[in-house]
Amino acid sequence: MMKICIACGMPMENPADFAMGDPDKDFCVHCARQDGTMQSYEEKLDSLANFIVRTQGLDKQAARDAAKGMMAQLPAWKK
Amino acid sequence: MTQYAGVDEMPESQRQKQKKQTRKHLITMAFNQLAKDGLINTRTADIAKAAGVSHGTVFAHFPTRDALLTEVINEFGARVTRRLHELAGGGSVHEILEAHLKGLAEFEPFYTRLVREGSLLPESARNTLIMIQSAVSFHLSQAAEREMAAGIIRRLPMHLLFNTWIGLVHYYLANGDLFSPGKPVLERYGKELLEHYLTLITE
Repeated sequence: MMKICIACGMPMENPADFAMGDPDKDFCVHCARQDGTMQSYEEKLDSLANFIVRTQGLDKQAARDAAKGMMAQLPAWKK
Repeated sequence: MTQYAGVDEMPESQRQKQKKQTRKHLITMAFNQLAKDGLINTRTADIAKAAGVSHGTVFAHFPTRDALLTEVINEFGARVTRRLHELAGGGSVHEILEAHLKGLAEFEPFYTRLVREGSLLPESARNTLIMIQSAVSFHLSQAAEREMAAGIIRRLPMHLLFNTWIGLVHYYLANGDLFSPGKPVLERYGKELLEHYLTLITE
């Protein structure tokens, strides 16, 4: 069954999509640290903003604001 | 006592079920109405009418018009990104762009509204558009890195590779009334745009 990563919203279908290749995990391979734990809010915000700048060319601050807005919708960071 | 409690519980859960259904129905009808009349121009009264409920019912479920709009757009974003992921996972640049067009074509009227009116909308709506783009740029950049390394496509900055594609597709969508009056734009031009773009980036 498909799950949605709680930290970035990516759909996860194959074991390789999950942290540590483990379908029981609720977050994806891109949101995991090397030791398999989930990245912190700050780490995720940095990587998401950098990803938006690199692949979509947005202004750095605008990318950071958008990343914050996107993260606010996700279960891991919802207040 | 137990019996009374049981009797009492039933209508409550029925009511909740009904409430959930009405909410879902409102989101669906709002989605159609917003695609038809625009994200800025659609009135809540028209949504209520389309959904067959009173105007007040809309506000019983959503405190403000913006709250309803945000909910519809978020729901839309989640659906599109899920669909794109389904279609695009692990493919070549060609396959990913083809999947992108297919995914957008399924939601063309609403997506076009989002593109046209994006900069006038609340921040949350713009973020949804960036979220959709991120799903595309994620798959595209992974495939593009592979194909650049293999000498299949030209070495171009990732953001320009992406924006050149998006710019082309969005220009046609935003001016659909000129390119394809009354008919879906992507159905008519999608193949041509894709072939042209691939010619530009191929090594």
